[in-house]
Amino acid sequence: MAGGDACLVLRLAGPLQSWGGQSQFNRRDTLGEPTKSGVVGLLAAAQGRRRQDPIEDLVSLHLGVRTDQPGSLLRDYHTVSDYRGRPLPSAAVGAKGTQRPTSPAKFTHVTERFYLQDAVFVVAVSGRAELLGALVEAVRQPRFPLALGRRACVPTQPLLLAPEQEQPAAGAVLWAGAPAEVLRRVAWQGSAPHARSLGRRGAPPAHVDLPVTIDDTHGDDIRTDLPRSFDPLTRAFGSRRVQHLWVRIPTGYEDTADADTHDPFALLGW
Amino acid sequence: MTPRTYVDVHVLQTVPPSNLNRDDAGSPKQAVYGGVRRARVSSQAWKRATRSAFVDHVPEEQLATRTKKISGLLAGRLAARTGLPTEAATRLATSLLEPLKITAGKKAAETSYLLFFGRPQLESLVDLVAERAEELASLGDAALKGEVAGLPVHQQLASGHPLDVALFGRMVADIPGLNVDAATQVAHAISTHAVEVEFDYFTAVDDENPREDTGAGMIGTVEFNSATLYRFATVGLHQLVENLGGDVEAAVTALRVFLTTFTQSMPRGHENSFAHRTVPGLVSVAVRRDQPVNLVSAFESPVQGRSGIAAASEVRLAEEMRRTSELWGLSPLLVASTYSAHNGEAKLQEEALGPPMPFADVVAAVVGEARRRLSPGAA
Repeated sequence: MAGGDACLVLRLAGPLQSWGGQSQFNRRDTLGEPTKSGVVGLLAAAQGRRRQDPIEDLVSLHLGVRTDQPGSLLRDYHTVSDYRGRPLPSAAVGAKGTQRPTSPAKFTHVTERFYLQDAVFVVAVSGRAELLGALVEAVRQPRFPLALGRRACVPTQPLLLAPEQEQPAAGAVLWAGAPAEVLRRVAWQGSAPHARSLGRRGAPPAHVDLPVTIDDTHGDDIRTDLPRSFDPLTRAFGSRRVQHLWVRIPTGYEDTADADTHDPFALLGW
Repeated sequence: MTPRTYVDVHVLQTVPPSNLNRDDAGSPKQAVYGGVRRARVSSQAWKRATRSAFVDHVPEEQLATRTKKISGLLAGRLAARTGLPTEAATRLATSLLEPLKITAGKKAAETSYLLFFGRPQLESLVDLVAERAEELASLGDAALKGEVAGLPVHQQLASGHPLDVALFGRMVADIPGLNVDAATQVAHAISTHAVEVEFDYFTAVDDENPREDTGAGMIGTVEFNSATLYRFATVGLHQLVENLGGDVEAAVTALRVFLTTFTQSMPRGHENSFAHRTVPGLVSVAVRRDQPVNLVSAFESPVQGRSGIAAASEVRLAEEMRRTSELWGLSPLLVASTYSAHNGEAKLQEEALGPPMPFADVVAAVVGEARRRLSPGAA
C-alpha cells in the first residue's frame, strides 16, 4: 500500500449503516465495520467518478478503521414491487434487448437487508498529499450524495474530522502520521448514552478500549473487500491483509474508578 | 456544467396510533438510535408512496411540451456533433421523430410520456445517423422518410425514462446502459423520541351466532405505535438535470412535484384501521451548494415528552440547523419553511429556518432559487 505521512479522517455515523461483505441477491448482509470497498465507493462518489472509471488510486490508499460504537444488527424486511401494479420483469433479456416478464407473473419480490444501527466508526485513509487534498474538497462538496453503504443510510455531521486540538489556528484538515498512530489520537466519537451504558453502575468510564483494523501487508487476517472495479459488467473484488489492534482512548469523562481496581470484564464491555 | 446544488427536505410529522410500515411479523418497523428504540418507516416505503402520488401530479400539458422539446434538443445535438446547419438539423430531427406519431389520443400520451429521455438516449439517437448526416440531409422528403423508417428509433427511445425515473433512478442488471442514477436520496424516517410497540387485541364476532354461542369468531392482535417522525430527503439538482438531458424546465417541474408529493404522501399500511393520514407539522427546505446535511443528530438524545413531543422536536431541529451553520460552516443558500412558531422559541426558529410561510410559498421560493442555480452563468 502506498502510505504517506498525512491522513484524512472521516466519522461514519448515522442511524443506519450497512457494509456488505459477501451479500448478494435476496439477503443483503452487513459486516461489523466499514469495508474498504465501501470507503473507496464513498470517496469515488464524492469525486463524481462513474462506476466504469478507474479506482486504483483510491484502492492504494492505506485504510484504518476504529470502532467507536459497535451498534447492533437490524433486519429490514424489504419487498420489491412495481408501484403501478404490473408484474415484475425477470432478469432474462429478450431478443430486442428488453427484459422478459416473469412467468408465472410475480408481483412481489421478498428480500431481507441487514443494517448496523446506532454505530459510529472513525476511518483514517492515508496516501499522496495531492490525492488527499482532492478528497477533502470532494467530501465537502460531493458530486453524488454520500451514503454509509446503502443510499438510504445518510451520514450525520461532522463527516470530516479535523485536528483542531493539534493545529487550531492553521485550519488544517489532514492529520500528520500513519493511520495506526492517527487513530490513537482522534477523540472518541461515541455518544453519551453509549458511554453511560459502558460504565459500571451507570457512570461513564474514563477510558475505552476500541478495536482497530488496519491495512497491513504482513497482517494475519484477510478481508476480501478490495474492489478491483465497480463496473456493473465486471465487478470484482480481491483480498487484502489486515492487522487488528486495540487502542485505549480517553472518553473525556472523569475517572471515578479506583486506579488499582482490576476489571477483568472491562474489555468485554460488560 | 450545472453547479452542485442539493435541495434538502426536512419534515417533522406526527402520526397517531398506526402501523404505517410493518415487517413480515406484522410489527411496526423499528430502529435503535442513541441507545433507545425508535419507530421507523423504511425509506423504500415512503419512496413508493411518493412515487405513486408523483405520476398523478405531473401536469398533462407538460407531456405535449415534451415532444416539441425532444425535437429541439435532438436538433441541437445533431448540429453540434455532425456540423449540419440548424435548419437541416431540425429537418432531420423532425423526420427521425415522425414515425413515432406523437398525436393526441390515450395511447399516444403514454408513448410521449415514455419519450422523456436523458443524455444517453439522445446521444444514441444521434449515433444512428451521425455518419450519414449530410447524405440524409440532402435527400428529398419522401426518400428521407423511407431511409428513416428503417432505423430503430423507437428502440432507442423506448429505453428512455420519464420524470420519475430521472428522480428515483432505475437499475437493470443485465443492461447497464439503461441504468439511471437516482437524483434523490431518501433516508429511513425515525421517531425523535423513544417508542415502544403496543398491541391492540381485537375480536370479531359472528352476527349470526345463536344466543347460546357467546364466543368470538376470531381473535387476534394488531401491533401499532404512534410517533413524531423525522424524515429527510435530498435532491441533487445537477444530477436531475443530467438525467433529463439538460432540460432545466423539466428538472424544475420534477423538483416542484417531488416537494409536494414527498411532504404530502404517506404509506398506507393498515390505513383503514387507523386512518393515519396527517400533514407534517414542519417542513423545511434548504437549497445548498455544498453537500446534503442530515439533521437527525438533533434527536440522538431522544426528545422527552413533557409538554408535547412535536413542539420540542421542532425546536430541536431549529437548534441543530443553526449549529451546523455556525459550528461547521455549512450554511445553505436559502431556507424556506412551513411551521407553527412556538412561544418563546419563535426567534430561534425564525433565525434558523426563516419566517413561517405557507407551503405553496415555500415551494415557489425553492423552485425560484433552483431555476436561478440551473440557468447558465450561475456561480
